[in-house]
Amino acid sequence: MSEIATKSPPEAPERAPSPKPRRDALWWVRKALWLVVLLVALALPLYLEAEWLKAGQYMMVGAVGAIGLTLLTGQAGQLSLAHAFFLLAGATAYTVLSGPTGDPELLGFGLDPLLALLGAVAISAVLGLAFAPVAGRLRGIYLGVASLSLVFLGLYFGQAAENLTGGTSTGRPPAEFSLFGFPFSNEGDLEILGVPIRETERVWYLFLALTVIAFLLARGAVGGRVGRAWRAVRDNEPAAAVMGVSVWRAKAGAFAVSSAYAGLAGVMTVLWFDLLKPDESEFGTYGINVSIAYLAMIIIGGLGSVPGALVGALLVNGLPQVLALYSTELGWSTGTGEHAFTPILISSFVYGAAIILVVLFEPGGLAAIGRRIAGRLSGKQRERNGS
Amino acid sequence: MKRILALACASALALAACGTKGGGSEETGEGAGGVQAGVGVTDSDITLGVMTDQTGPFKNLSTGITHGNELWVKDVNASGGVCGRDVKLEIVDHGYKADTAKTLYPQIEPKVAGFVQVVGSPIMAALSSDLESDEATVTPASWSSELLGNPYVMVVGTTYDVEMIDGLSYLQEQGKIKDGDTVGHIYIDGEYGANGLRGSRYYAEQHNLNLREVKITSSDTDLTNIVTGFKGAGVKAILLTTTPTQTGSVAAANEALGLNVPILGNNPTFDPLLHDSPAAGALDKLYVVASSVPFSADIPKMKEVAGKYEKAGYSEPPNAGVPYGYAVAEVWGAVLRKACENKDLTRAGIHKALQETTSADTGDLVAKLDFSQPGAPATRQVYVAQPDASVPGGMKYVKPLFESPEAKEYQAPHQGG
Repeated sequence: MSEIATKSPPEAPERAPSPKPRRDALWWVRKALWLVVLLVALALPLYLEAEWLKAGQYMMVGAVGAIGLTLLTGQAGQLSLAHAFFLLAGATAYTVLSGPTGDPELLGFGLDPLLALLGAVAISAVLGLAFAPVAGRLRGIYLGVASLSLVFLGLYFGQAAENLTGGTSTGRPPAEFSLFGFPFSNEGDLEILGVPIRETERVWYLFLALTVIAFLLARGAVGGRVGRAWRAVRDNEPAAAVMGVSVWRAKAGAFAVSSAYAGLAGVMTVLWFDLLKPDESEFGTYGINVSIAYLAMIIIGGLGSVPGALVGALLVNGLPQVLALYSTELGWSTGTGEHAFTPILISSFVYGAAIILVVLFEPGGLAAIGRRIAGRLSGKQRERNGS
Repeated sequence: MKRILALACASALALAACGTKGGGSEETGEGAGGVQAGVGVTDSDITLGVMTDQTGPFKNLSTGITHGNELWVKDVNASGGVCGRDVKLEIVDHGYKADTAKTLYPQIEPKVAGFVQVVGSPIMAALSSDLESDEATVTPASWSSELLGNPYVMVVGTTYDVEMIDGLSYLQEQGKIKDGDTVGHIYIDGEYGANGLRGSRYYAEQHNLNLREVKITSSDTDLTNIVTGFKGAGVKAILLTTTPTQTGSVAAANEALGLNVPILGNNPTFDPLLHDSPAAGALDKLYVVASSVPFSADIPKMKEVAGKYEKAGYSEPPNAGVPYGYAVAEVWGAVLRKACENKDLTRAGIHKALQETTSADTGDLVAKLDFSQPGAPATRQVYVAQPDASVPGGMKYVKPLFESPEAKEYQAPHQGG
């Protein structure tokens, strides 16, 4: 999937958007390539088996979360390790809002799943806003450590608030998603080109739609006034204030937006697992490891780059899954002993190495590589046009 | 640029030409010997799934269980297999990551008749609804009675809550605690700890014990302050649903502070490695309750399995996972034979055979098992053992298999009726 990075490079976030968008050949090629990517993504459920779709869905969960974090950390310059907490907040909010009413042990509001999804995103955003006073005072590693405390808070509340989360020992199943009465489950017969469209395929399209919306909104924010304010605050707060940007509002806004994205990723996580289960320790579905995985995604993809976050999510969330699936399919590493070299082991090495290589040789991430290739191509084209 | 565009279009077309996938077809039909065959069963093979942890935090125990499974498969195939078919294992590693397991499941599920091993409570929780809708019988490597809410779950051995009840009843029988005493229970938050706590709460209610509960996380290592608190509260016994490291810390503090009360632990609280730890000298007060035997148990069947393990030439030191894995597979063998008698090796047939299994015998590797009551533990019998560095495996028995009257009365969370 690296062609996303190489063939359709992102606009440099540092570059202010030109008043009149360039509509040269390259612009059209970019748009066409995005269209091709989208068409391929739309067609995949017709060809791929359930396990590959499941892996793909997990990449999309990562993509939505990573886009949120790259806006906050890359664009607005605020290091956050609290992403996993907002994931848990969104996941819990969705499950509670859409949960059945009248259960003596579990709180539920019986809302329509779509409303519950929007509510979960809103609640996450509000929680992010509530953290804004802290985010407004701290920066850099201090903010990172302060935000880390939220992950521990989440760990505690997940365990303590059993009537919301279902508790660590059993968890709690979320309501199946449905859109205006159309269920995202195995119910009903639906076929496209002779392929039965069942739960996995339906959820694929749901996740794809959510990812596309998240992507377009983020691109819009980065290219617009909001994004300029974020970058101004990131680069120099006094200068931004002089230019009329409210530093406090820009910072709080970035945190709220990023939390909303994480909340959406949380909703997608429970829909993907068919289960909300708070973690038993700091490592789990909503633990420190997840916060760090999201940081890894945006670093590999290139801080601040929205398409880069997509590619980072493909690598970090996708690689372990794809390697595990491939190696089982091909019958690699069937050893069972202590020294068995399993795909899980390989994938942790690969993504560790990817981070080190990126930080050492291309701190701008895959996005910078993509930009360079695009620059070279457009340079060639200009030569050709000139001659 | 046009070339790239053309290339992209061409690859899209190539993809389109790959042909569409077929729907999920579940072939069932009359196979060899007039037996109805289902998913994972052919005329020559029965394939069972193993979703294990070879790279994560539980790789030692999981590897032991997998080797136990493999030893049994070797034995059963050498003696002609089950139902005229060879048993095969399909092994995948999920590294104790629920997300990886969730993706691997749809890949392995269409190939297997059931799961002889699924390691990890987060993984089991994530897969439970899938297993139920696919009607796949599964043996989790966990002993929580909460799991029994899924009718397709087969827990080989008793559950943590019943272990606690039997253990407390043993302490009372020995005169170490009496009605109205104060006892402390340290447990790890999560499926494991919560289930152990359920047992001690039940017993405390029956015998009017004053139970002091302390919740910890699995990463805590020094529990001295908790034991100090217990001393102040005047506890007569300490109950543990913890990791072996934490057991060591409690045992050491129990001695160092001069508290010297008996310590009662669930099956997973003890590891032979504790004999090499700084707490080695303080383990004499520890009692461990379990329904499966340690590797060095003085039981003919265990000696046989231990001999086979040695011959198989595995490089890892054996642990309690090996006999457990062997016993689980043996129970699976009994269930499959039953299904074969019923001429139905479909998943539904296997599940039916499981419910008809009322006395699965594993040569005392695990107490006799009765799966006919949905939601109830398959046995309520346990052994009580004490650490003893002088015997291989580090544990000696102080009480053979027994069932306390309290455990008999106990209502498991998903028990019907």
